[in-house]
Amino acid sequence: MNNMTLYVSRDSPVHRVDPMTKLLFVFISITSTYILSDHLAVLGILLFTFFILLIGKVFKSILPVIGVSFLLIASIIIVQGFFHPDRATVLFEIGPIAIYKEGFLIAFLITLRVVNMVAAFGVLILTTKPDDLVEALLQKGLSPKFGYVLLSVLQIIPQMVALTGKITDAQRARGMETEGGIWMRFKSFLPLLGPVVLNSLTETRERSIALEIRGFNAKGNRTFLYERKNYRYSVPFRIALIAFFLAVIAWRVIS
Amino acid sequence: MKKKRMWSLQFSTAAFVLIPAAVGINFLGKLFASVLKLPLWVDAIGTVLASMLAGPIVGAIVGVVNNVVYGFTTDPVSFVYAITQAVIGLVAGIMAYRGWISNVGKAIVLGVVVGFIAAIVSTPLNIMFWEGTTGNVWGDALFATMLAKDMPLWLASFADSIVVDVPDKVVTVLLSFLIFKGLPKNVKLMYDNQGEIERL
Repeated sequence: MNNMTLYVSRDSPVHRVDPMTKLLFVFISITSTYILSDHLAVLGILLFTFFILLIGKVFKSILPVIGVSFLLIASIIIVQGFFHPDRATVLFEIGPIAIYKEGFLIAFLITLRVVNMVAAFGVLILTTKPDDLVEALLQKGLSPKFGYVLLSVLQIIPQMVALTGKITDAQRARGMETEGGIWMRFKSFLPLLGPVVLNSLTETRERSIALEIRGFNAKGNRTFLYERKNYRYSVPFRIALIAFFLAVIAWRVIS
Repeated sequence: MKKKRMWSLQFSTAAFVLIPAAVGINFLGKLFASVLKLPLWVDAIGTVLASMLAGPIVGAIVGVVNNVVYGFTTDPVSFVYAITQAVIGLVAGIMAYRGWISNVGKAIVLGVVVGFIAAIVSTPLNIMFWEGTTGNVWGDALFATMLAKDMPLWLASFADSIVVDVPDKVVTVLLSFLIFKGLPKNVKLMYDNQGEIERL
């Protein structure tokens, strides 16, 4: 229950790359697919992202994450395929309904982009421990207070989910209905959420006192508990990524 | 004076601790909505509650952190909507400070306004990233019908967002309002920048 993240612990070259470089990769990979509108080019970027996931030995773990976006992808294909405003050429017909070529091509392009977006984030999320990412951001100058906020969310949510289980049981023991018609289910929303919210808000009081005592508001430079990890090849990777991005922009401007 | 406090960037420790708790509340709202199989998301209770308690800036930060963390743990698509959540927090916070949470009627108005603004912010994102669909079955069915009648894309997409966002945000704001009214005074005062007594 204490593992909120999608991080997959493996030993691979991708895991050893600097988190900031991966962040740059995510940004460039996604914006490139939106700058380019050529199917082959976008497909190429997607295949490259998949290739990196394969090197990182996490390709299998991305599939359920893509599955979460399945509904979005399905509705894009259906809605754009049937109803895109520029529809003219009929691609093929299923019974009385016709799928149009223009809409289908656009739906295909968007699907590639969405899958690439999820996969590119996957490269970062699946191969980087959140602690390492936040640490890298802190070293780049993120306020330590925000670093605390980001990491403590990951700890607090499992605690709150556990508390929720207790409260649901307690309310059921008192005879609250959590099943039945929609109005019945809706009515049970507040008695479930109320106690959890109250409890967690009162807890913030104790937590902030505890933080104050440990110098949360202290001024001056922070030191790091862990030594900075030695990431190799960061500079050549970044130069390659930026060069690629400039080439994409140049291509778009010319064509 | 009031305005200055509303936009204060000097957060107390309590406000910083409120942010993770509010993100957790968002998460639970979503969890309960899916456990109880409600046809809404209700995933912004924490954001709205935080902006009622600690002002628009904290609310906006909760919104961004919420979607970043959600993107990291479940669904990367939610990174796209970080801006929407931030604006929800901002609007709810400003209106709450102007007194729009004094009674139920005003809270419903606040919900409608937040829903409309959420839809206005989401529509360009939807069009830019996925040509107008939202992934919500009811909204997309309306979107498809409007496109079939040759209405403009932006209008159809806006309607798609509106039918989903407005009822959802009204319920969200109403629930946050009820919880907010039920909070004990010492909890409310903790995040308030006005009083010096409870300041940590």
